[in-house]
Amino acid sequence: MMPFHKAVLGLNGGPTDELVVHYGCQLAKPASAELVAVHVIEVDWRHELSEEMSSENEAASAVLDLAEGIAERYRVKLTGDLLQAREVAAALVDEAIELGADAILVGLPYRKKFGGDFAIGATIPYVLHNAPCQVIVVREPVPSSGERRVGAEPVPLTSQPGPALAMGEILGGKR
Amino acid sequence: MSMKPWLHGRKPGDRRVRVERPHAAFFRYAGPGSLVAREAASRPRTTTGRVLERVRQALLGRPLSIHDEITERLSKKKALAIFSSDPISSSAYATEEMLRVLVLAGSAALLLSLPMAAAVALLLAVVAFSYRQIVHAYPSGGGDYAVARVNLPRIGSLVVAGALLIDYVMTVAVSTSSAVEQVISAAPALADFKVWIGVAAIALIALGNMRGLRESGNIFALPTYLFVGSALLMIAIGVFRIVVLGDGSPPPDPLPGAPSVPEMVGVLLLIRAFASGSVALTGTEAIANGVPAFKPPESRNAATTLAVVAGLLAVLFVGITFVAYSFGVVGIDDPVRRTVISQVAAIAFGDNSIGFYLFQTFTALILFLAANTSYNAFPRLAAILARDGYMPRQFSFRGDRLAFTSGIVVLSIVAAGLLIAFGGDTHALIPLYSVGVFLAFTIGQSGMLVHWLRGRPEGWRHRFAINLIGTVMTGVVTVVVLVAKAPTSLLVVVVIPLLLVVMYFIHRQYQASAAHLAVHIDAVIPPPRREERVIVPVAGINRAVIQAINVGRSIAPDIRAVLISDDPDEATQIRERWERQLPDVPLVTVESPYRALVGPLLAYLDVLDQTWPADREAPVTFVIIPEYVARSWWERLLYNQSANRLRRVLIGRPHTVVVNVPYRREPDDKPAPSGAP
Repeated sequence: MMPFHKAVLGLNGGPTDELVVHYGCQLAKPASAELVAVHVIEVDWRHELSEEMSSENEAASAVLDLAEGIAERYRVKLTGDLLQAREVAAALVDEAIELGADAILVGLPYRKKFGGDFAIGATIPYVLHNAPCQVIVVREPVPSSGERRVGAEPVPLTSQPGPALAMGEILGGKR
Repeated sequence: MSMKPWLHGRKPGDRRVRVERPHAAFFRYAGPGSLVAREAASRPRTTTGRVLERVRQALLGRPLSIHDEITERLSKKKALAIFSSDPISSSAYATEEMLRVLVLAGSAALLLSLPMAAAVALLLAVVAFSYRQIVHAYPSGGGDYAVARVNLPRIGSLVVAGALLIDYVMTVAVSTSSAVEQVISAAPALADFKVWIGVAAIALIALGNMRGLRESGNIFALPTYLFVGSALLMIAIGVFRIVVLGDGSPPPDPLPGAPSVPEMVGVLLLIRAFASGSVALTGTEAIANGVPAFKPPESRNAATTLAVVAGLLAVLFVGITFVAYSFGVVGIDDPVRRTVISQVAAIAFGDNSIGFYLFQTFTALILFLAANTSYNAFPRLAAILARDGYMPRQFSFRGDRLAFTSGIVVLSIVAAGLLIAFGGDTHALIPLYSVGVFLAFTIGQSGMLVHWLRGRPEGWRHRFAINLIGTVMTGVVTVVVLVAKAPTSLLVVVVIPLLLVVMYFIHRQYQASAAHLAVHIDAVIPPPRREERVIVPVAGINRAVIQAINVGRSIAPDIRAVLISDDPDEATQIRERWERQLPDVPLVTVESPYRALVGPLLAYLDVLDQTWPADREAPVTFVIIPEYVARSWWERLLYNQSANRLRRVLIGRPHTVVVNVPYRREPDDKPAPSGAP
């Protein structure tokens, strides 16, 4: 993996957020790299893009606050960036380009329903195809069969974050 | 939250808007209705404050968050080094203290130094066994204070606390003075500066602890192992020279028919020598205080470490005494101070050799380290006492660097004061040291007796017996030290009761205020029942006064302004203007021919109270004081002096609330048209 100087962490308020932040901090700390935690509120076409989505903003800000709290414990510089956009994936990539980030970290949650599978959705493929920098996908740990799980297990400060490189890193992309 | 302008993406539809989070710089959400302040929230906002903050950070380092606290568990090897610096460093001066007493009866008395050292070692074994019981019974740590707190009446634990506080202060003073003496033994040219070297060392250790020095660092383990290693080597070389090479010149045996040595020396001197040598035991309690710092199984590891520390201490103490005795070494004061241990090192390694200088360095280092251990223990004990309400609450507050700053400052000041008062002389300081330590030992052990009698677990009789022996022996030694080291030791007898009186006084004050402020847990608080009225003292009409009047209007409709004036003409002018500009607020003019301001206003408030209808509950009077906010320090001298005086006399007046309404001149404020004040 190439070391990075500035990375964008894509957070969605889901169970993988903590994993992404912990992993990002662990990667950033040795290189004194800077992290930008980005949370995008998707605004549908019934609302103006600049309309204040007050209820969602509170929760979204809490997502970024959580990331900032974790980064403070690692002593890693992390700034929170709250966006409103029509398309989460495009906003994430555009923000990474504007900030000059050389890595994007996104989380890949594991859904237990229907036999269990990774919920890759639309955001990760878009980021993989369009990001001009390396993309690191942090996979949520797969629960062992029969194990009852609710959300992601918190990762202790000193431990490695689960099987974090499950999908590995994908270098490069279209600029 | 507010939005910034739109940002364009790579495609026309990919626009986005950045949402500003004004709280983010200062707070983090920690759940519904809960915020966590970030470092920026604590930063000073004035220029002077920022400059002072920078200076403080340069000295003490940047503030630490509570998440930065290190809760490292210690392995036995590391714990041995960290906890043993205090007890083991005692071997640097214990032999000397004993020999200094014995030599008073002539060189023949030195024959008794070995049996005396053996007796002290026996006492050490008893104390160590007793403390192993404490370590197992109280795995949460706290040592003698914890034992006494649980098992004895409150006064018992407070006596222990007082004795321990004295012990910690004396550890700093004695260890520092002894360390400096080791330095001077190697570099006699520094003898004239010994007090100030000691004071500077205490200041440096204090500064390091205020920066949040961690005892768990390897840097603290190294000097202990270096000292122990080099001291064992020194003893081994000394014993080799005595036993194999036949070197040494021990004091001659008494002639046949002459009185025995103990008869010559006298019982009192023997007791004094034993009391002096028993200073070797100081610091043995350190491990029992810090059991939770060990890796699991905490109690077993702590007990093992305690046994090893006691064994090492006994070997070092008896070994150094043996070599000193065999070579006829005693402490030298003239022409310059040379400690016994430095002379033993000179015999073993060669005077002025590299080995000698290295050993002196290691000895000084472990002594400074021993002083440092008190900087952990004293502030923590003071914080526990403060939380229990027996010390001022400031002792329980942690500073920017997570250190108990008040405890560190008080410890440093008292220890440095003692160092100066006793001229940096370890020998003069020692009598104060031993009494507190043995008193704490005795009360802690007797607390353990109560512990076994109450619980009576399996095998309690055997354990009770061990603690009983410990109690009796340490009790006897306490009395011996007290008597033998009089009159200096009696100072402790005065200081501990004084500390007790102060602690009880503080506790009573806190209890009284808590009872006064308490609200019944089941009470549903009703709305305020007293009526409210507002009094605004004024000196004329200006923006500050109008702001105060408006604040008053928002509190209660019963509002009146009071003008105290010694100039009737001026008062009339102000009234005319007042009635024109503020017609709905009555102005009461009080002429003050004696030019007093505060007195007439207080008298007016009293009259208002007296004229209040007797069948109604007295109202709450809000006195709203307009204030002009000065922009610089020199401006503060020019304004608000009357307001300050007024505030001081009104605070404490029944049913009176004093409200300051500061008026700040904003940069865009335009001056009023000419003619206006």
